[in-house]
Amino acid sequence: MKALIQKDFYVIWKQMRIFVVIILLLSIMNSAFNIVFLVVWCSMLPYTAMAYDERSHWNQLAAMMPYSRRDVVLSKYVLGWLCMAAASILCLAARVVLGHFLENEVDTSIVLTSLCLGVISLDITLPAVMRFGVERGRMIFMVVIFGAALGAGVALDSVDIPSVPLPVMALLPLAAVVLTAVSIPLSMKLYQVN
Amino acid sequence: MNAIELSHIHKSFGEFAIQDLCLTVPSGTICGLVGENGAGKSTTIRLLMNALRPDGGIARVLGVDAASPEFREVKEDIGVVLDEAYYPETLTVVQVGKVMAGTYRRWDQGVYEGYLRRFDLPGKKPFKDFSRGMKMKLAIAVALSHQPKLLILDEATSGLDPIVRDEVLEIFNEFTREEDHSILISSHILSDLEKLCDYIAFLHQGRLLFCDEKDRLLETYGVFAGTAEQLESLREEAVLGREASGYGGVRALVRREEVPAGLELERASVEDIILFMVKGAKK
Repeated sequence: MKALIQKDFYVIWKQMRIFVVIILLLSIMNSAFNIVFLVVWCSMLPYTAMAYDERSHWNQLAAMMPYSRRDVVLSKYVLGWLCMAAASILCLAARVVLGHFLENEVDTSIVLTSLCLGVISLDITLPAVMRFGVERGRMIFMVVIFGAALGAGVALDSVDIPSVPLPVMALLPLAAVVLTAVSIPLSMKLYQVN
Repeated sequence: MNAIELSHIHKSFGEFAIQDLCLTVPSGTICGLVGENGAGKSTTIRLLMNALRPDGGIARVLGVDAASPEFREVKEDIGVVLDEAYYPETLTVVQVGKVMAGTYRRWDQGVYEGYLRRFDLPGKKPFKDFSRGMKMKLAIAVALSHQPKLLILDEATSGLDPIVRDEVLEIFNEFTREEDHSILISSHILSDLEKLCDYIAFLHQGRLLFCDEKDRLLETYGVFAGTAEQLESLREEAVLGREASGYGGVRALVRREEVPAGLELERASVEDIILFMVKGAKK
């Protein structure tokens, strides 16, 4: 599986460099929406890698190699998690550095909420993309990802997160864990060599 | 041991189907898989690599059932080159090497780099800028660099210039000098197969018409060239396919043992045998 993630990393590296620049630029603005948008947007990077796979018919070659269906499917989830984690860390780092100059506060709860939303978005959209491919699955994940980012971002900007009761805040990570546990086996079942 | 055993394989795709396919490739031999476009060669390769599940029958490769969980381990011993290289277009050969090092446990970076030099492949050029020949060379380099025991090659030599093709055929020949090394190769270039193979298997419309030793095929069949009257005088079972030649003559593929001993026959090439058989099957 490590080799598959490495291959995807090479494929999306150019796009990741653009993400780093965008993260740094948006981090200047103190908005919860920006953080949610960036982290959830990073959850889409596995689809970029999958689009390259489809265009080159990589999956036909991968089916001849000693990768299991589990490796192929799980590698896309892990890639998404790694991209989201990297975006979160960069956001936090940028806010810490810029905080000295712009008096921005570092709010880790917003980053954690964004991470949960990103994981949930990936969980909902990846099985459909595994089944229908990136082109046909694109509409599904566009609606889910932008809907989630917009709704959550607007909500987070208008709600004081620290004042939200802890049990309610705990629901989001719980939902992310439960959905992941359902989504991965579903993706394995729906995965098709395109 | 047999390197490949396909036993009564069925796979239907609606209009096209692989039907009752039985094929055996003994270990240590090279088998050429021949057939027209759409005859089922690539489908056969996908079936024996478990990339497709058959509707019926059993595929065993290097002694292991391709549908079993243990087959994943067996894939370590199989080098595959498909009709296209299928690597993501932004990768370079250096990156492909790194990915394959993480894929195959017995990946030999030294051997890989040796092939890159031998094939003159640039290390940092993205795959998308490669010519078809360069792409196929990369795929061949990868297939040979993880100590495989079996090579499965689907049109691996197409797109290569004659000099490189000859070199690649020599590499495949070298590969089978180890007695447990085997090759299944599909190609449209029948002269390559005649040069390389011990066995020839001929697929036609999803059915295996024959799988036989190449030398026996060449001994069994001959090409008759003469008049239509002379051909009509031969027994019907002797003639497998015929075609008109210039000046009112005919050429036909015949079984040597079915024609009179004195009748002069030309040597049949593998290409003659296949082409006449396809024409015969269409009648």
